Amino acid sequence: MMALVLNRAFIFSRCHQQNGISILLGPCVTGFISRPYSTYRRPGTKPDNTPHWKTINFSFQNAADEMKKRLGLIKKEIVDHCKGPEGRSFVEWMVEQTRVVWEFRNQKDLDGWVVSSDAEIGGKSEAYLTLGKNNQSALLYGTLNTDVPRDGETRRSGYCSMRSKLQWGAFNQKNFYDWSTFNTLHLRVRGDGRPWMVNIYTDPYYSHQKDDLYNYFMYPRGGPYWEEIKIPFSKFFLSSRGRIQDNQYLMWLDKIRTLGFTLGDKADGPFQLEIDFIGLSKDGAYTGEEFPYEQYKRNP
Amino acid sequence: MHPSITSLLLIALSTSTIITMSSYHWMFAWAGLEINMLSMLPLISKEHHPRAVEATMKYFMTQAAASAMLIFASTINAWQTAQWDISLLTPSTPMMMLTLAITMKLGLAPFHFWLPEVSLGTTNSVMLIITTWQKLAPLAIIILLHNSLNHHLLTSLGLLSMVVGGWGGMNQLQIRKIMAYSSIAHMGWVVMILPKAPDLSLLYLMLYIMLNLTMFLIIISTALTKLTSLFSTQNKSFPMMILMALTLLSMGGLPPMTGFLPKWLILQELIYQHQTQMATLASLSTLLSLFFYLRLVFNAFLTTPPNTSNVTKNWRNQTNHHILLPQMMILSLMLLIITPLVISLF
Repeated sequence: MMALVLNRAFIFSRCHQQNGISILLGPCVTGFISRPYSTYRRPGTKPDNTPHWKTINFSFQNAADEMKKRLGLIKKEIVDHCKGPEGRSFVEWMVEQTRVVWEFRNQKDLDGWVVSSDAEIGGKSEAYLTLGKNNQSALLYGTLNTDVPRDGETRRSGYCSMRSKLQWGAFNQKNFYDWSTFNTLHLRVRGDGRPWMVNIYTDPYYSHQKDDLYNYFMYPRGGPYWEEIKIPFSKFFLSSRGRIQDNQYLMWLDKIRTLGFTLGDKADGPFQLEIDFIGLSKDGAYTGEEFPYEQYKRNP
Repeated sequence: MHPSITSLLLIALSTSTIITMSSYHWMFAWAGLEINMLSMLPLISKEHHPRAVEATMKYFMTQAAASAMLIFASTINAWQTAQWDISLLTPSTPMMMLTLAITMKLGLAPFHFWLPEVSLGTTNSVMLIITTWQKLAPLAIIILLHNSLNHHLLTSLGLLSMVVGGWGGMNQLQIRKIMAYSSIAHMGWVVMILPKAPDLSLLYLMLYIMLNLTMFLIIISTALTKLTSLFSTQNKSFPMMILMALTLLSMGGLPPMTGFLPKWLILQELIYQHQTQMATLASLSTLLSLFFYLRLVFNAFLTTPPNTSNVTKNWRNQTNHHILLPQMMILSLMLLIITPLVISLF
């Protein structure tokens, strides 16, 4: 009976989508609940009209597990606060000149990364992430394909990327990496000669900044030898939704959320990138520029 | 920013504080606070960095909410007592709302979360204004009304701010955030003693502004941002680091520096009024602040940076210090000897 009533309310809401009745009915009209996140719908696919209440998986066991996990996180945060920033003692912060943030030695290390490609929008590229030889590195490999999906909307295609997962604290609070004591990104990689872009995502407090990304290029040599690439953080430039911004700002390192690598060099074919570790270093000799990009006043 | 715009904003800032401090009508006081907030916003977002814009928005949201709560409290008071006079605040609901509004304005716990975030997004000079000049107007209102306000609430807020300011500043690596938590802790002292001895509260405020000004002038002249930048600052200007160390010890309340004077008098007053537990709690919470001040001193002096620090290059750079710095240093370090004069005045 309840399902019938809710279904009728849902149908009613769909019929009266454009008028103010659905606003007045509010929570009763379950199909009209505005979601706090954007739901991407691939062009050409049917819209998802599943009522919100049908997607809820109600379970006491889930609730108990979730509370246990969150209370564990709170306890860890309190204990870490007593030790020092980010759970590491102050002596470590004062003395360290290098730090390895990510290294790839087991499957758990790989689980902290997300691999994506233009297959999400209907493209034909493929990307996979696996452990390298002797479990000493991560291997990102696949095939890039620039064929545009035939959906009538997409005009460009051909990208593959891997990105670290967002960190969350207790009760879904944001957690950040604080890299302010370092000035260089230090990578040990073995590529295939293709140019990659390194993307760093800093905390966008306001939603209109959620597409802001700091990028720089990485040009690994092909070949059997490993190489260590050092990129000063001052070199990263600001882009939003892939477009380089006119007003450039220095990247602040105290609230870093994710780091990622993207390949989009418009060359069809296989690719391969092996990563040993991703770390940070403080190069005391780097007293070069504070910020290399000159700012021109557009209306002086 | 064009110098004329900066001058205009600074004039508006000072005028608005004077309007609030000299007003007798709630509307004037609220108008002064609003002009104060609005003139700060362009100063905070001077650089147009995304973080500066974020700090500006956070400052605006909290201050506007506090001002709205203040005018709402005064409206309820006018409704119940038919009076708009500031000194005639009697009903309990407006008193409570006003106390919470002023707490939010000052950045006292539990409404302190905006201050460290705003401090990180602004420049050092603007942060100096926020931690010193911006305290005057709200404190003027609260000192005027201290007889009518809930004493237990004020004392609790003060003690909570001291503890939160000390605890929160423990794990900070950015110097501006450390100074923000220090400001929260010091404001806790000001508000805690206000119901019992408003004169001491005023004395503490004046000495805190003096010490904070000295500290920020040193930070501005040496361009300090992070804790780790203290390692190489002794190569830039060793005398400046010595003075910074002494100022920090003064802020921590250690004798024979000036900072000991207000804390000593407050603790003495609390013991005279048989509030020994409160005095003990205040002393213990000050130890937390002293710990992170000493950490700054430790990093500046007692550590050698593990990396090469371009010593030859650094000593050639002349550190330009502010013209007021020598006078402020003397006041920050040597006023304890005039304690009898202060006692006779207050």
